[in-house]
Order: sequence, then C-alpha cells, then structure tokens
Amino acid sequence: MDASVAMYVAQGIHGLAYGMVLFLVASGLTLIFGMMGVLNLAHASFFMLSAYFGYQMVAWTGSFWAALLVAPVITAVFGILLERFLLKKVHAFGHMGELILTVGVSLIVLDGVKAVWGTESLPLKMPPVLEGLVQIAGMQYPIYRLFIIAMALVLLGILSLVLFKTRLGMVVRAAVSDAEMVNALGINVPLVFMFVFGVGTWMAGVAGVAIAPILTVFPGLADQMGMDAFIVVVVGGFGSLGGAFLVSIIGGLISSYGVQFLSQYAAVLMFVFMAVALAIKPKGLFGERD
Amino acid sequence: MNNKSRWALWIAGAVALFLYPRLFGIYYANIFVTFAIYALYAVSLNLLLGYTGLLSFGHAMYFGTGAYGTALALTHIKGLPLVPALLAGFFAAFFLAICVAPLVVRVGGNAFAMMHLAFGQLMFVLALKLRHITGGEDGVGGFPIPPLSIPGLFSLDMGDPILFYYFAVAVIAASLWLLWFFTKTPFGQIMVAVRDNTKRVDYLGFRVPHTKAVVYVIAGAFAGMAGAVYALFQNLVAAYDAYGILTSFVPVMMTMVGGIGQFFGPICGAGIFGVLDELTTRYTDRVELVLGLVLVLVIMYAPYGFTGFLTYLRMRWSASRAQRSPA
Repeated sequence: MDASVAMYVAQGIHGLAYGMVLFLVASGLTLIFGMMGVLNLAHASFFMLSAYFGYQMVAWTGSFWAALLVAPVITAVFGILLERFLLKKVHAFGHMGELILTVGVSLIVLDGVKAVWGTESLPLKMPPVLEGLVQIAGMQYPIYRLFIIAMALVLLGILSLVLFKTRLGMVVRAAVSDAEMVNALGINVPLVFMFVFGVGTWMAGVAGVAIAPILTVFPGLADQMGMDAFIVVVVGGFGSLGGAFLVSIIGGLISSYGVQFLSQYAAVLMFVFMAVALAIKPKGLFGERD
Repeated sequence: MNNKSRWALWIAGAVALFLYPRLFGIYYANIFVTFAIYALYAVSLNLLLGYTGLLSFGHAMYFGTGAYGTALALTHIKGLPLVPALLAGFFAAFFLAICVAPLVVRVGGNAFAMMHLAFGQLMFVLALKLRHITGGEDGVGGFPIPPLSIPGLFSLDMGDPILFYYFAVAVIAASLWLLWFFTKTPFGQIMVAVRDNTKRVDYLGFRVPHTKAVVYVIAGAFAGMAGAVYALFQNLVAAYDAYGILTSFVPVMMTMVGGIGQFFGPICGAGIFGVLDELTTRYTDRVELVLGLVLVLVIMYAPYGFTGFLTYLRMRWSASRAQRSPA
C-alpha cells in the first residue's frame, strides 16, 4: 500500500469522525434554532459539561459505557431546566434577550467546571475493546474513530426516522415552520419545544463523551467545538438538518486535511469557508430564513 | 431641566473630572481611565445594537485593530507624535470597517451576530499566528509613549499617570460628544428608524444597506479609538486582551446591563461593570461566574437595564404625583 494514500485515508477517517461529532452538536443547535428561533450560545457548554460528567462517571464507576449512557442524560436534564425556567421567561423580550441569557449561562458553566474540576486537561480512557487499529482491505483504521462514525450514523438514522416517519416528527417539523399555527391546532407546543431542547442537548452530550477520549476534557472544549458548530449551522442554513449534516462532513474534512497541508492556518480555514459560502448564499446552503 | 441648570451640571461634571485624580490619587485615576475606555467602546457598540438593532459578537475586532494600529505605529515609526499615533488606531479600525461593511450590511439578526463571532475569532487567530507582526500571545509592548506637545509651546509627559488621565478623558469625552451629536442628526433618526421598521424606511426611499454601512463604519472607527487609547494606557497589546471573545462580549453585557438603546446606558453599564470588577477581583477569582450570574439576573428581572429601571422609577414617581395633585 502506498504510504501517501494511507495518509490521505487516515486523515479522511479523522475528518469524518470529527465531522460526525460536529454534526451531533450542530444538529441539536439547528433544530432548537429552527423551532424556537433561539441561537443557543450555551449549546457547546452543554457539550463540554457532558464531557466532564463523563469523566466523573468513569472516575466513579470505571466504565466508559456507563458514562456514555448516563452523562448525556444528566446533561439533557440541565438543558431542559434551562429551557423551562430561564429561556421561556425571557422569550417575550425577543431574540436579543435569549442570546444574552445563553451567553450568561455559558459563562457560568465555563467558570463552574473550572471551579469543580480545575483548568488542566483531564484524560478519559477509551474502553479496551475500541483501542488499537483494525485491518480492512490491506489498510489500517483506528477502531475508535470508526466507532464514532458508526454511532453518529445510527443516531442520525434514528433521528431522521423519528422526524420523517412518525406523528411526533411531523409535529416537530410543523412547529419548525410555524409554531403559532401548530399551537392553534391544539397541540401542546411548549411541551414539544421542551422535548426538542432535551433531545438537542442530549445529542450534544453524547458528542461530548464520545470526543473526550480523543481531545481530553478541558475548559476550552466548548469554545473550539462551539465555534465550528455555529459555522455549520450558519453555512448549512438555520434550521436545516440536511444542511447541517453536509456541512459538518465538509467542515470535518476541511479541518483534518487543513491540519495536514496548511497547519499554520488550519484554524482560519473554517472561517474562510464560511465567508465564501455566505458570500454566495447569504441564507446558508439550505436555509430559507435568516 | 432648563438650559441654565443643564449648563451648571456640565460645568460641575467637568470640574469633578478635573479634581478627581487630585483627590483620589493615581490608583483610582487609572481605574477611571479603564472605565472611560470601556464606556467609549460600549457606546460605539450601542450605536449598532441599541440604535440600529444589529447585535455584534465580534466588536473586539475593531477595538483590537485600533489598539494594534497605535501600538504598531509607535513601534515602527520613530518619533511619531501622540495625536497621529492615536489617529493611526482610529483609521486602522475605520479601514477595516470599510472592508467588512459590504459583507455584513445585507444580513441582520442572528446571521449578523454569528458572522461577527466568526470574523472576531478570525482576527484573534490571525493575531496569534502572525507572530512576526503581532507578537502572538506576548503581544506588542514597551513601545515609546510620546509626549503631547506643540513644538515651542508646551510638552506634557504622558508617562505621568495624572497627565495621561487628563489626555485620555479629554479624547474620550470628545469622542463621546461626537457620537452623541451624531445620534441627534437627521441621519441619526434614520438609523433609529432602520431598527424600528426597516421595510418602511426602504419604502420611504432611504437606502437601508447604505445607512447601516455608515453606522457600522462609525461604530467600528470609534471602537478603534477606544482601542488606541487602551494601547497608550497599557503600553502593551496582546492577542487575547485585544481580540479575545470576552473582549467582544463585555461591551454587549455593559450595554445590556446599563440600558439598551439609550445613549447613556452603556456608560452606566461600564461604570457598574467597573465597580463589579473591582469588587469581585478583590474577593474572588471567579469573575466569569459573577459576570454570567449578573447577565442572567439582568435579563430575567430588568431587561431594559439600569437606565430602563431609572425611567420606570421616574414614571412611577410622576404618575403618583399626578394622582395626588388635583387635575
């Protein structure tokens, strides 16, 4: 096997894995935005919070799987509490209030995790089953990254089944396009909002635990992922799940090959990508609203 | 308030500003300069946020560019006088705003906020990576601060904190006055109209994107002015302080806490933040936690900020007085 081809493939796998995690975070963000018009700036903070919960679970139980199951659920409960007791109250004041509120929450979470867990980066060991490499067709792939890709695809599958094949999904999609009308039809829209918010933060939570073994757990995690997730939502089009998926994959590959070829400016590439995409389509690739 | 008592108030304010460093000493003079810098910075943001309804999460790119502009000009140009150095920062931000404005004035709301978040981060990353120009994390520092002088007449040493206080306060007061004057012009009224009903302004024949662009460039340039004074004050400009995400959030918070859409709101906000910062850093190192809590509480319970609260009190007062007095 040619060494350079192997390198391209390895970087491609890295990019796909990162893109999938990015999608898990961005899909919640874009759904929440689509339904409520809230750009939840604390979304990435929940992602980070879940990684810390995961670290704590592993420290207590020693099991990665327990962390992957429990931490996102606890995170989702926090998300629901935020929606129920804070966001709903400021809804009347408009988007500005919601944006500022979520900034406040993200600052509290950031300083909170620093107070509880300190500022150094904490390692989270991946389960032994997923360590190492696997041989497929004469090439080696890191198992853990394949696992992340597979898990994200399964979640994406379930999500799209629920969204497009069930009555609940129909209600959610209807609420995304016109919440007021759906409410007038006698459906409890605030409850649906809460449900979507919970699912969105839960997926961010899964992403947080999943990425922790690769990136370790540190207070800068939210910034790094948050910025990329916002770019995905903006470029994909606010509220568009398909757009978020496509742009997540592109973004993952851009950052992974960017590190390979333009390591100095890798951090800028995503922004350049966004600027170009928005210059061509100001509402995002699949967006209908701004 | 009639004209005479208004003049008396202005003069009393000027005298208080003049006496302040003499009475309280260098430490509090420096705190006041920091407050004044942030007040100008927040007022420039409020021009976008409160007057035109454009929320920017990347205003630090103009503050930082102004700071770097002045710092780099003083580092590389030998014997540059003070006022041109200040203007270097101002015009650096001005030109950046002219370049960015065509990209951003056609969008609004969330997209505007997010694009600025991204542009702000872009500038931050560039400042970190272009190490040979900006010095990366260490920043540009130790450049000479020239005296304020008119050759043959006088020369004031800006190394003296009290004299620098007078200089900084004069520059910032002049900038604030210009901005205040700007909001009172007919153009300032169109600016507010764009916030309240963009479509109608468009139908009336005013060109909305152009109006936004002019406001945007002015807001950027005066944020640059604040940054330039900041550079002279600190004698050090580093990437995190100049372009960091918190530097973008702080003026938004000040505007929200002080009162959105009112000219003196952000100034009150900057004052409240100055006091808060002084108190929290004295007793705890959890500054961000306190900031976050304040933001959440303000949004929940006083969404129009401090000046909004004052207006509410005044209305209550005049209402009760009107009730008591026979009609």
